[in-house]
Amino acid sequence: MVFGESKRYYVDRRVTDRIAATGAQSFASYFARLRSDLNGEIEQFINAFTVNETYFYREEHQLRCLSSDLLAQRTARVDRTRTIRIWSIPCSTGEEPYSIAIWLLENWPQVDAYDIEIVGSDIDTQVLEAARSGIYGRRALMRLAPALIQKYFEPLDEDRWRVIEDLRQSVRFSPVNVVEASETRAYGQFDVIFCRNVLIYFDDASRRIAAENLFENLLPGGFICLGHTESMSRISPLFEVCRYADAIVYRRAREDADGKSVG
Amino acid sequence: MPLIRKSPSETAPTRAPEVPTLIAALENGSQQERWAAARGLAKVPGAVAALGKALGREADERVRLAIFTSLATISSAASLDAILPYLRSDDASLRTGALDALRLMPGIVPGRLESLLCDPDPDVRLLACDLARDLSSQEASILLSSLIEVDPSVNVCAAAVDVLAEIGAPDTLPSLVRCAARFADRPFLGFAVKVASERIGSRFPARHG
Repeated sequence: MVFGESKRYYVDRRVTDRIAATGAQSFASYFARLRSDLNGEIEQFINAFTVNETYFYREEHQLRCLSSDLLAQRTARVDRTRTIRIWSIPCSTGEEPYSIAIWLLENWPQVDAYDIEIVGSDIDTQVLEAARSGIYGRRALMRLAPALIQKYFEPLDEDRWRVIEDLRQSVRFSPVNVVEASETRAYGQFDVIFCRNVLIYFDDASRRIAAENLFENLLPGGFICLGHTESMSRISPLFEVCRYADAIVYRRAREDADGKSVG
Repeated sequence: MPLIRKSPSETAPTRAPEVPTLIAALENGSQQERWAAARGLAKVPGAVAALGKALGREADERVRLAIFTSLATISSAASLDAILPYLRSDDASLRTGALDALRLMPGIVPGRLESLLCDPDPDVRLLACDLARDLSSQEASILLSSLIEVDPSVNVCAAAVDVLAEIGAPDTLPSLVRCAARFADRPFLGFAVKVASERIGSRFPARHG
């Protein structure tokens, strides 16, 4: 993660918050606590710096691309007994993986013909807890039609809704550090990876390592979707650019038995 | 619901192979084994020699990329020495791969940039100009203004002028003017110097407006 001068206020605020939260008397005292990872402070520190604000159906055009183009390509070459795997990384508080699930249930005509596994992962363990609980405020649901809210959420009070049990039980949430190959490999390979708005926070070297990790996590011919301001072409030449009506995405080339790209 | 959830235990845990196994795979493995070995050696400083050697014989571009990334991740003087020879390669993809890898080593490369900018090979000097983009304005200005005063290659000077246009300081302006004068018979350089001077001036209007 890299924070330039323009992010000084952001960094100051979060460090100040952690100093207050731990009851440290000074920065030096807090820093010693951080270095010794007292009471798991490193994880808390990371959690404080990860960006978690998102909402349902964010960058909806990519979801349209998923159901209209990407899955058509993925299913054209597989038998119906194979599970279609989709990874949302980082998944933050769960809006993205739940959005993918709702979108597919509502918009992909073949949704009942395949088993679909959706996994949400994040380095921030607190947001994963929030994702599992599936409770959201009005702002997170602002892009969803009332009918969808009624169908997939249950109201808790005037301003909070909870994802219905069936849907919560359909998405797996688990921690991962995208720059650690030993962690990402354990997730196996996916048909589609959503990795939006996280690589921009990495330095160049970490970004390239993350790209190589994600490449390994894609099945040959599988797709990766980045945030609309991000470009994989500037990070790594491993992926092919695919331009569809609704989005530009990146693909791991199809391969022959020896692992050679076959386009 | 067609959505299914598998428990984490259904995915097999991965265990990192030993370093000698990785080096052997890098030398003799299949394409996928060489890729995995190259990546697996990213945290092994002692593997620099093996990675550098593998780069020389590796034909698969994807494996080459992984080797470059691992050498850049190790980011030591030794890994820099393993990458630098490929800046001179006749193979454009190796040259580009080396340059991209060097860009990933901002803590190591600046110390070597001065000698790269004096390299007898103009192609190396040209690529080194590009690496100066990652320096501070002051550091890049000192190195590149010295270069454009004396470098005999118009293409190298043009590459330096291009970088100065982006990050040069106002005190490079006299060197830029003298560089254009040295290559007065090459109008494209004069034009590039004019554009660079205007851009530097626009960034420092109080001093040079």
